[in-house]
Amino acid sequence: MKKFFSLLLVCSILLSSFVIVFSNVNTVASASSNKYPEGTIEIYGYGQPQYFLKYYRPWLERNRDIAPKVSIDIVQTEGAADVREKLTMSYVAGAYDDLPDAFYIDPVNLVNLADGGLVQDVTDFVSSLTDKLVDNAANDATINGSIYALPESVRPQMLYYNQKIFNEYNIDPERMNTIEGYIEVGRELKEKSNGKVYLSYIDPGSRTWRYYGRRGLMPQAKAKIWDDNGYPIIDTDPGARLAFEALDTMYSEGLLLKTAIFQPALYDAVNNGEIATFYIGAFWDEFLRKNCTETLGDWRVMPAPVFKSINLRGAPVSQYIAIVDKPNAVYSGLIKKMWYDFTFDIEHKEKWVRSMVRLDAPYANPISVEMLKDEFWEEPSIFYGGQSFRKMEKIALRNGAPNLVVTAQDAEADIIISNELEKYVAGVQTIDEAIKAMGENLRNKIGKVEVIK
Amino acid sequence: MRLINTLRKHKVPYLFILPFFILFSIFQLYPIVWTVWVSLTKWNGIKQPVFIGLNNYNLLLNDYMFTDAFFNTVVYWVTGVIFIIILSLGIASLLNYNNLKGKGFFKVVTFLPNVSAAIAIGIIFSMLFDKNIGIINEVISLFGINKIGWLTTVKYSKIPVIILNIWRNTPWFTLIILSGLLNIPEEYYEAARIDGANKIQQFFKITLPNLTDILFFCFIILTVNSWKIFNESYILKGPSTSNMSLFQYMYQSGFTAFKMGYASAIGVVLIIILAIVSVVQFILMRKNSEI
Repeated sequence: MKKFFSLLLVCSILLSSFVIVFSNVNTVASASSNKYPEGTIEIYGYGQPQYFLKYYRPWLERNRDIAPKVSIDIVQTEGAADVREKLTMSYVAGAYDDLPDAFYIDPVNLVNLADGGLVQDVTDFVSSLTDKLVDNAANDATINGSIYALPESVRPQMLYYNQKIFNEYNIDPERMNTIEGYIEVGRELKEKSNGKVYLSYIDPGSRTWRYYGRRGLMPQAKAKIWDDNGYPIIDTDPGARLAFEALDTMYSEGLLLKTAIFQPALYDAVNNGEIATFYIGAFWDEFLRKNCTETLGDWRVMPAPVFKSINLRGAPVSQYIAIVDKPNAVYSGLIKKMWYDFTFDIEHKEKWVRSMVRLDAPYANPISVEMLKDEFWEEPSIFYGGQSFRKMEKIALRNGAPNLVVTAQDAEADIIISNELEKYVAGVQTIDEAIKAMGENLRNKIGKVEVIK
Repeated sequence: MRLINTLRKHKVPYLFILPFFILFSIFQLYPIVWTVWVSLTKWNGIKQPVFIGLNNYNLLLNDYMFTDAFFNTVVYWVTGVIFIIILSLGIASLLNYNNLKGKGFFKVVTFLPNVSAAIAIGIIFSMLFDKNIGIINEVISLFGINKIGWLTTVKYSKIPVIILNIWRNTPWFTLIILSGLLNIPEEYYEAARIDGANKIQQFFKITLPNLTDILFFCFIILTVNSWKIFNESYILKGPSTSNMSLFQYMYQSGFTAFKMGYASAIGVVLIIILAIVSVVQFILMRKNSEI
């Protein structure tokens, strides 16, 4: 019996040793292999995010050594607020498995998600690369000194104009270098065309505030929604008044066709030569190319006009990709690698852009300073009659206005401000009444906000 | 003790209904209680809620957006109840006509709007009502009427929502009323005809009285649905809050502005409104039954 137990003890010791050694071997092997586990990277996007797959999927194929069985999927959402809603609901419900690995987002909604701890801090990763990126690329993702998203694009406000119309009515487009000149051109177009040709459009919904306000005239006018202490001053700020009065002048004088953007009616008006210009972000390129093919070769672009007294061009609009801070976020490193190559890999970026051009699909100029030096980014554009849209997009970023300060309550503020602007566009109130109501409602419904430096 | 004795005596039926009440408590009662609690907080959905008492309700009472949404919803409710029930009753009566040829075909066609995807129909309606290229404006232009900015003016923006709501919901209630019509004994009409009653008299003396319960049911369902109207006003959005429904405003407050506490307060108000309306309806229904 003693021999039996002795033998059993020896066997146990040997077995335990074997298990320990085997486990250590596996652990060492796992650590040294550095391969990402099998699965699917899920990213939430909006606009036309599916075209990113044409870059990311080939990238995964090229990197099977580190991601042998990883695939990627991009889920289309309605917009940034919808992304935030989905994330918030999954987070509140504790359904972490339902959270995506990353998502595209705008600064307004990023602030809250970062404040709530839903996104990873990527300061260490991005800050070491800022000297390789275009100016202010990570600005709007920087909150209290920390960077919470990877910059994907930095696109300026621009002025698109139909050269054919300007030739027809013998108007020099260079006069639109200033907003005051832009308005004068609109008046002349209206007069010479007997009211047929509008300077531009105005959307009856929330996109007027988005494109003419927050992203457009407001930053260029150095306008403020909040003072430095967080109190609403939009109704007393001289910059805000300058911006709104410019819009009012164009609209009240009948220079803007009232029609919803991104709708067939607008595209029909463009194709029929009824709209001469678009004061809007560079993203409009993809919509113009895709929906207004009858005007191929007619359009040109130039930097956004400036207010004479301020002399600032359009504020850049940045889009970011943020990594979700969730338990077991195994693909964080892989997403960073993908982003890094998307940003800095010249060969494959150009290849992707060429495929986008063939598909009339969206793409943006790179944010890499080095990549932008390549002559590829100055190639002529067929849709713009041989003018290089890419080159103009690069030029339009110069002397750009700083964006409006973003606070945690800006999503609600946008609703309040837009509501007043919509009533103004609907003819229910004057611009003065709208501005006054904006201030009152911001104070009543929000009060003081925390201004994030 | 009396309750315990009752439970012991009738334990079987109580056990049978127990699962429902368990599910009700988990999926309805608890969420309602939780909503009431959240309505007393300031919460963006991510960070910890902060108790603020009745501030959300005070804010709500002074919020023109809430007021606009409330009255818009009242309009949708009233117009929905009136037009849907009248149209449903009329269409059901026609479908129930004995000499109608191809009755099956017409029933199917009548029901099609109800099974169409709300989003798709909304997009089509937004094109129909477009000021510049919409076919509705093209038609009225033929009669010398100026084009109307249906979705771009405060004055008219509720009309497309009302029409879409009526168009989508009439088929369902037509089906319900038709089932009621089919249950009215033909002998009633025969007796009436023998007594010399014409079609109109038959309708008001026989059809309507026999459909009272069905119509009350439709009224209740329509009321609840009207106060929950969302898709139609969301897709056919007009300027500002000109055609925004209360449910839509609650959604916007919660998932666009991310003011969960405020959105919950709106939700609580909706619950109260529906509760009051339902109680009134049941009281009226009971009185009508007693008569």
